[in-house]
This record gives sequence, structure tokens and C-alpha cells, in this order.
Amino acid sequence: MTILVFLGTLAGTMAIGVPVAFALIFCGMALMLFMGVGDPQIIAAKMVAGADSFTLLAVPFFLLAGELMNAGGLSRRIVNFAVVGVGHMRGGLGIVTIFAAIIMASLSGSPSADTAALASILIPMMRNAGYNVPRAAGLMAAGGIIAPVIPPSIAFIIFGVAANVSITGLFMAGIVPGLLMAVALTVAWLIVSKKEQVELLPRQPWSVKLAEARKAGWALFMPVIVIGGIRFGIFTPTEAAIAAAVYALFVGTVVYRELDWRELYGVFLQAGKTTSVVLFLIASAMVSAYLITLANIPAELSTYIEPFLDRPKLLMLIIMLLVLVMGTALDLSASVLILTPVVMPIIKQAGIDPIYFGVMFIMNACIGMITPPVGIVLNVVSGVARVPMGQVIRGVSPFLIAQIALLFILIAFPELVLVPLAVLR
Amino acid sequence: QIGEINIKMSNGLNAEHPIGVGTEAMNACLAAGSEGKVQVTPYWSHALGSEAEAVQSLRAGLQEMMIEPPSAHFGIEPALGVFDLPFLFDGETAVDGALDGAFGDHIAAKMEPHGLVVLGFWEHGFRHVTNSRAPIETADDLKGLRIRVMQNKIFLDTFDRLGANAIPMAWGELFAALETKAVDAEENPIAVIDAAKFFEVQDYLSLTGHVYAPLMVSYSKVLWDKLSADEQTLIRSCVAAGRDAERAEMRSRNSATLQKLRDAGMQVNELTPEALSAMREATAPVYEANRDTIGQDTIDALNAALGR
Amino acid sequence: MSVSRLCTRLIEALIVFLLVFMVVIVFANVVLRYGFNSGIHLSDELSRYAFVWLTFLGAIVTFRENAHVNIETLVSRFGRRGRLVCMGLTQGVVMICAAAMVMGTLRLHPLNATMKATVSGIPMSWVSDVLGVCGAGIFLIAAVRLVAILTGRISQSELDAFAGQNLSEDHQ
Ligand code: NA
Ligand code: NA
Repeated sequence: MTILVFLGTLAGTMAIGVPVAFALIFCGMALMLFMGVGDPQIIAAKMVAGADSFTLLAVPFFLLAGELMNAGGLSRRIVNFAVVGVGHMRGGLGIVTIFAAIIMASLSGSPSADTAALASILIPMMRNAGYNVPRAAGLMAAGGIIAPVIPPSIAFIIFGVAANVSITGLFMAGIVPGLLMAVALTVAWLIVSKKEQVELLPRQPWSVKLAEARKAGWALFMPVIVIGGIRFGIFTPTEAAIAAAVYALFVGTVVYRELDWRELYGVFLQAGKTTSVVLFLIASAMVSAYLITLANIPAELSTYIEPFLDRPKLLMLIIMLLVLVMGTALDLSASVLILTPVVMPIIKQAGIDPIYFGVMFIMNACIGMITPPVGIVLNVVSGVARVPMGQVIRGVSPFLIAQIALLFILIAFPELVLVPLAVLR
Repeated sequence: QIGEINIKMSNGLNAEHPIGVGTEAMNACLAAGSEGKVQVTPYWSHALGSEAEAVQSLRAGLQEMMIEPPSAHFGIEPALGVFDLPFLFDGETAVDGALDGAFGDHIAAKMEPHGLVVLGFWEHGFRHVTNSRAPIETADDLKGLRIRVMQNKIFLDTFDRLGANAIPMAWGELFAALETKAVDAEENPIAVIDAAKFFEVQDYLSLTGHVYAPLMVSYSKVLWDKLSADEQTLIRSCVAAGRDAERAEMRSRNSATLQKLRDAGMQVNELTPEALSAMREATAPVYEANRDTIGQDTIDALNAALGR
Repeated sequence: MSVSRLCTRLIEALIVFLLVFMVVIVFANVVLRYGFNSGIHLSDELSRYAFVWLTFLGAIVTFRENAHVNIETLVSRFGRRGRLVCMGLTQGVVMICAAAMVMGTLRLHPLNATMKATVSGIPMSWVSDVLGVCGAGIFLIAAVRLVAILTGRISQSELDAFAGQNLSEDHQ
């Protein structure tokens, strides 16, 4: 019964356009009234506690690093490097897109920012070279969502804090699945673009490749700081985030000299505002999470799925389908924040590795960003590439199918995530 | 006069810790004394929020009970800092005598004005240092060691004075930080070291016993005052029953746990009395520096209880 | 410049200041720790508290800009009348939540005023009170919108922004 109160108020308010954060507070209040513990003090205490976290400081710092990368010219140099590096290969600029998406994913954790950067530089080039533009736009969107799976990742930080799971572990566990997402995209791209008549870029001599690599070198060093720094114990995730932000600031202002004071103000303001949107959502989710726990909703839920508890793969399949359905309508961090307190106790009970679950969960919630009707990354790419939404949805569909197929493969063979993790740790 | 009471109890440990045994004993006692009408519902692993949030919930009357180390309440009552002072108790007998007697009452009286009724002290245990560099045999071995401590002034001060590099770090980040060697060391009771699987990432356990931490059982005063005298008496006596079961379990388990840690590859060493007294001497200024914050009355009460 | 624009600019400047402060203090601590094997024990607490302020001050401005994530799928299918109803109801729900935030903060204040941060000794009310400011700001914005809807003076651009038709604001 409590579960119906929870779902009813949440879905009802979200449907009429109430921002997810307020819908979460509201459904928390409904649960309070239902349980007879009504006191606004709970709301205030939980919201403040939700934002008061040193670990979550990584969120603004990684966001800032991402903003600085785009504004400071790091993203552009990465794409140029990808163009001279792999532009001559079969699949041409599509392969460039995927290659650049991987590199950018290892620098930032924001799918929207990555997609916007990729699309604004590569779409004009692909349009001129005669590619099917909606399909190219779809590829950018599907490439952009690799960002939160390959570290650094704001989504992993949010999940790690909400589920009390090691963020370093999640970061390391995301690398291989993120690369597999790129492989899935490559396969899909090579199949659907086979018949396209486009001119491939000429193979560049090594001297040109080296020159572009040198220009992009400062940007390419960032994953070394972040992933290497965390893996070899130089930094905690929060410290790696501050190092990334300061490094991007240094490269943008001192090395590339593409940022002036006015732009910096804008960059800091944008990062600050995005931080407050993300953190306000986290703070609000703490209200509903507290009441979900107090109302014993996970226990209520686990009585329904009792029969699946000793069949972890089947349980994973059911939960992943649920996330996929929720992802059609919900934003990445909203999915994570709403579902984590509900399903995490069940995951533990079923003996599923929480890090494996976290990676699958985030990957799945990322796929939600390119599923209609609500897919923020689709909106971004439609806006930047100036392609109507309907065409973007058609363009993204082969890549969406490829990502979902990969998801099912990883459910069937968890070893694909767990074995590399054992090596990387 | 005993009615239906569901006591929501939060803490940061889990049912596998001896606190699980204590809670079971407490619940058995409550069930027997109330014909099943009174029971404690435990929320493990801070499922309802951090210890600071629990303190808040109790003071506001939103939640009945919490079982936490006193550090959590340090923000409201500086006198509790006394438990964080290094090398305070010499052994378990000294601990039990002080906490179950007049000193425990002294602390309880301090907490009542803050809206918390202290019903007794369970055991968290003596805290020991683990690290990944080398066994700590003398105070010198702590020099330059990057050690994670709780976000707590006295702990930071203690380890800084011992020459270590004390780093306050969130619990959630600790395991990974030890694994990647972002920090070298941490300090916790044996049961926690085992439960958190620190033996997977730390090679050395040195039995420094530098701090004794109890688990303070607190009840919301707002809600306590609404209970009948019979209910209060029952709950008090069952907290004590739980305490005895928890301490007994903890102490009988500690030596087995140490063996388990050895089997898992940890090198366990004891410190000589000379080494310990050198450490006590090095950290003596911590007492002076915090005398005013903690309060002379509390330090006197403790010295009296310890017969010093 | 209208009062609301002035407040927005002021809060924006505060957001930038707080973020710069967080970057400086956390980075300085990392440098001290790795370079000089020491650190500012205060850094952890101060950066967290700046973070709380940034979050809740920023939430006011982002609410004004309709930048908080919401689902417009259903709303965008409605005509003007349906959208007005949804927008009005949404402001009502937001006002209830914002009022609860303010009331909760007021009740929390005396408790937190006597609770001191462990290292800096800052009363926790200095940290939590910003939630009351946030709630009050959001309540006001939502109330002004509700009145505009009820009196039929809501502008088309505001209604469009609510229904997600206006993508000029960066949502991520
Ligand atoms: Na990333
Ligand atoms: Na979607």
C-alpha cells in the first residue's frame, strides 16, 4: 500500500510538469502523512544533509572541468586529432565520431556537453562530405552517452554516494563496458553506413598526425591525471576532480590562451548553476529515500520478487527492463536517485556484486537519455545539428538497438564486466 | 502500564557485528517483559542517515533510539570529547567500572539538557592502527604515515602530535583510498577492521589501543517523557541486558577475529609498554589543549572513576 | 533593472564566488598535503558548507529559469488551457514544498544553533539556514507565477518555457 502512495504521488506530480526534485519532496510529504509522522523538520534536515557531502564535491569540480574543456579549446583539438588519426578508415567520419567520443568520455562526465561538442564540430563536416545527417546526429547522441560510463563520471559519484559503493571501484569497472559501447556503435555504424556514397578523408602522413597529437597532447594528458591518479592512489575521486578542473583551467588560460576573464565568469556560473540543479535533486531525493526506508518499501517490494532472489540473472533482467522503461521518461540522475534506495537492498540480498550492478544501472540509465519521448541528449543533438526531433529519433534507432543489445549481453555474461575489473583494481 | 511501542533504532554497524547479538538480546528481553508489545526495529549501516542526522532526529523527537560512538554527539556536547582523548583506559575492567558507574551517570546528566536520555554504554572497542607500510612498534613508526581519521579535532591533534599526517576522510571513500594507497593507514576497533574487510588492503595491524570507544545508547527525551514509568523501567533494564550480551560477544569474539585477520595475511603486533608510554607522553599536550573544551568537571569525574 | 533581476545577478555573483572559493581551498589542501605533507583541517568543512550554500542559492535562480529537470511530454501535448492548468497546479505543489522547507528550517534552527561543526566550531544553523532562504525565494517566484496565471497575465514565453518549448535555456 505504501508503495502505491509513493508511486502515485511521484508519477502524478511529475506528469503535470512538476520538476522531479519537487515531486520527490512532495511524495516524501505524502508518505509522511500516510505514516503519521508529519514534520517539516525531516524535510529540512534531510535536504541539508544531502548536500553536505565532501564526496559530492567531485560533482562541481568535474562539471567545471567539462565546461572549461569545451570553452578552452580542448574538445576541438581532440576532434582534430581524431580526424587526422582515423578519418581515412572505412566508415570515415563515423569512426572519427566514435573515437573522439571515447577520448572525450575519458575527460568529462557529462553526456550533454560531450554530445554538443561533438555535434557542433563534426556535423558540419559530415554534412559537407555527403553523410546522411540524421543518422550522423543519431551516432553523436549514442556516442555522447558513453561519457558517464567511462570515468570520470558524475553519475557514478551520485550512485556511489546513494548506494554507499566505492566510487574508485565503479570508475575502474566502467572502463571496459564503456569501450564495449564504442565497439557496439562501430559495428552498427559499419552495417548501416555500408551503402552510403561518401568521400573518405585522405590518409595523413605521420608528420601531420604527430603535429595534431602534439596540439591535443595537453588535452590527452587529462585522463592520465584522472584515471591514472585514482588508480595509482595519488588522488581520491574528489581530489582527482579538483586536479582535473585546475588542469583544464591552466590549459585553457595559459597554454591555449582561449579563455578571458569574462568567459571564465560565464564558465564558473554555468558550472555553478548545473551543480545546483544536480545537487538540489540529490538533496530532495534524500527526503523520499529516508521515508522509503522508514516505510520499509524495499522489504515490501522484495516479497514480490522473492522467487527471483536466487536467480540473479533473471532478477537483473527484470530490474534492467524496469530501468529501461523508466529511462524513456526520466533523466539520468533522477533515475539513479529514485531507484537506488528502492532496489539496492534487494541487490544486496540477491548477492549481486554492487559494483557490477552500478555499472549496468548507469549504462542503462544513460541509454534512457537517447530513448523517446524524453531524451535530453536527443534534444541537444537536434538543437545543435538543426535536425528535427523525429528524424533524430529515426537516426539514433540502429545505435540505440546496438546499445540495448550490449546491455543484454552484459546481463547474460557478467564476467565481461567482472573479469576486467579484477585485473584493473 | 505498557503499550505498543516500536522503537526505531539507527546505527552505523550491521547485524553481523556484536551489536546484532546485543539487539537480539534486548528485543528478547523487551518481548518477555511486554508480552511482545515493545520492540526495537534496527536500521543498520546508517540506512536512515548519518550519525549527525540521527542526533538531530532524536532531539526533534522524530526517532526513538540510536546506538553510536560519542564522537557523533560531540557537536552538541563538548564534554563527550573526553572519550576521544588518547590512552585513557587501561583495560576492559577499568572501562566497565567507569561507564556503568558514576562516570556514566555524569555523562548522562550532561546529555539530558540536549534532549538525549543516555540509557547505557555498549562496546565499540579499543581502536587500533592498521597500515600498509610496516608494523608500528614505536612512536617513530607513525612518522609521516598518511592516516585517515574521523573528522574530529582531538583525533587530528593526536595523530599530528605523533608525527603522522592525519587526513579526515569520509568512511565511504576509505576502502578505495586504502586499496589504491592514497592513504597508508586507518584506525578502528578490531570488529570494524574485520567487517570492513580492511585485511584485504592493509598488511599490518598494530594493537595500539590508543582510544576506547563505547557505543552510547541514547533515547529521544521528547519521546522518553511520553513513556509510562513501567515502560521506562522495562526499556532501561533491557538496554542493560543487551549491553551485557553485546560486551560478552565482543570480547569472546575479539581473539577469534584476530586469528582470522592473521589467517587472512595480516601481520598483527603488540606494542611494548615502553612504546605505549612514549606515545602517551607525546600526546599528553592533547589533554592540556582540550581541558577547557571538555571541562574540568568531566575530567575530574573520570579520574575519580579510574581511581587516579 | 527590476528587483528580481537584481537579486538574480547578485545570487549569480555569489555562486561564482562560492565555486571559486571551493576550488581554491580544496586545491590548496591537495597541494599542501602532497607537496608539503600537511593540510588545512578546516578545508573539508568550509568547502562542504560553501557547497551547501551554492546548492540552495543556485536552486532559486535555476527555478526562476525553469532549469530544474521536469517531464514535459504530457504537458506539451495539451493546448493553452491544459498547459495553464498544469502550470498552475505545479506552482501549487512547488509552493507546498517550499513552505515545508521554510517551516522545517525554522524548526531546525534552534537545534542546529547549539550543534557545532567538529573542527571549525561553526554552528550548524549557519549551514542549514540557507535552505530557508531557498524555500522563501522559490515560494515567492512560484506565488508570483500562480497569481499571474489566475489573473490571466502570464506571458506566452513563460508558458512555453514551462511546457519545454523554449530550449534557449541550457538544461544540462
Ligand atoms: Na566520463
Ligand atoms: Na528517455
